[in-house]
Amino acid sequence: MEFRAELLYSKDHEWVKVEGDTVLIGITDYAQSELGDIVFVNLPEEGDEIKAGEAFADVESVKAVSDVLGPVDGTIIAVNEEILDAPELINESPYDAWFVKVEDFTGTEELLSAEEYQAFVEGA
Amino acid sequence: MAEQITYIESTQNDPYWNLALEEYLLMHCKESECILYLWQNARTIVVGRNQNVWKECKAAELERDGGHVVRRLSGGGAVYHDLGNLNFTFVARKEEYDLDRQLEVILRAVQKLGVPAERSGRNDILADGGKISGNAYYEIDGRCYHHGTLMVDVDLNELTRYLTVSKEKLKSKGVDSVRSRVRNLSDYVPDLTVGCLKTVLKKSFEDVYGHTAQERKKADLNQEELEALHRKFCSWEWIYGRKIDFQYEMAKRFSWGQIELQLQVEGGQIEEVQAYSDALRPEIIQALPTYLEHVRYNNHAICERLSLYRSSDQESEAMMEDIRRWLGTAEL
Repeated sequence: MEFRAELLYSKDHEWVKVEGDTVLIGITDYAQSELGDIVFVNLPEEGDEIKAGEAFADVESVKAVSDVLGPVDGTIIAVNEEILDAPELINESPYDAWFVKVEDFTGTEELLSAEEYQAFVEGA
Repeated sequence: MAEQITYIESTQNDPYWNLALEEYLLMHCKESECILYLWQNARTIVVGRNQNVWKECKAAELERDGGHVVRRLSGGGAVYHDLGNLNFTFVARKEEYDLDRQLEVILRAVQKLGVPAERSGRNDILADGGKISGNAYYEIDGRCYHHGTLMVDVDLNELTRYLTVSKEKLKSKGVDSVRSRVRNLSDYVPDLTVGCLKTVLKKSFEDVYGHTAQERKKADLNQEELEALHRKFCSWEWIYGRKIDFQYEMAKRFSWGQIELQLQVEGGQIEEVQAYSDALRPEIIQALPTYLEHVRYNNHAICERLSLYRSSDQESEAMMEDIRRWLGTAEL
């Protein structure tokens, strides 16, 4: 199981990468391994709002559909079209297969560090 | 281990209310509670969360026959329900959610009735190789459900009729259904009724969990919240308008020539049209995209839009009328 030190994590198993004024959001290695092979992903559209704790995307795996909750508040300025056509990228490389790019974000102070998230997952 | 088990039955056969109640139970399930919810839909196709309705079933035909098309929250393929089918849903928080146990409830119940049922993979319960129960799963924010069909005496002719679609000309994203051989429980237990199956399931639920189930009634729930969920499941946006883009090609020969259409549909709406024809009046063919773009992808909406066409030339009007009649009944 991989945990990247430079990322922040939510307890709902999303990762957040802060890049200046924007953040990238995806699901963690733990999340993808729990889901199993992902066959479809639904993303919001550019310009949509994302809200912490509310579903903004969903992934369908061979096991189940899971709604993905927003880890921050903000405005979506880009979605990763690549994973729409090749959802298996989320399984193969969860920290590169970002879902959305968000600007004007708030709420990162609620998120966990890699070390805290690892402890949370291993305690679960 | 669940400390409290709850049993609830739906009192109606309307799929939109039934799915609304299911989501309501999911959002209100308490810690250390496991809920068993039993429900039935009258003549309904239920498609998976990420399926293209037009590709998976004869939606227009079903609706003409008074049936319903509905989209569930869980994944997987399209299924046909009528009153010969009983649906079950197990709802629990992630900590209490236990697929093996939940399936044990179902298996014990049908085995007790004399059906040689066994699990197959993750999604099915089989008897002699035929599927008697198809299962699917949904999770949000640590809340989970597992639901499935139980075919008592479903009309298999109707099932085949509505679920058989041959659309080589439809190219779509989304999740495809997998065709399975299905089987009714009545093959083994000829006098089995849905009522009897419900009783056996409830008993099996209590046996496997080792508690007496508390019964809950729909009347005790928050009606406003249920109504809001009902509106979502009925809405065109949820059923047809999901962002599952596709292209559809159709062709037709008329006395005046052959016409070919390529439609690009996004979010349930026609967004791009290419029309080709060997007809001698290209102005009709050139007009078609202007009329069809941004129209909802259904016979009625297309027909209504094309009826706006006017021309000083009678022959052109007659040709458009031919096209309108064709698209008014064509299988989309």
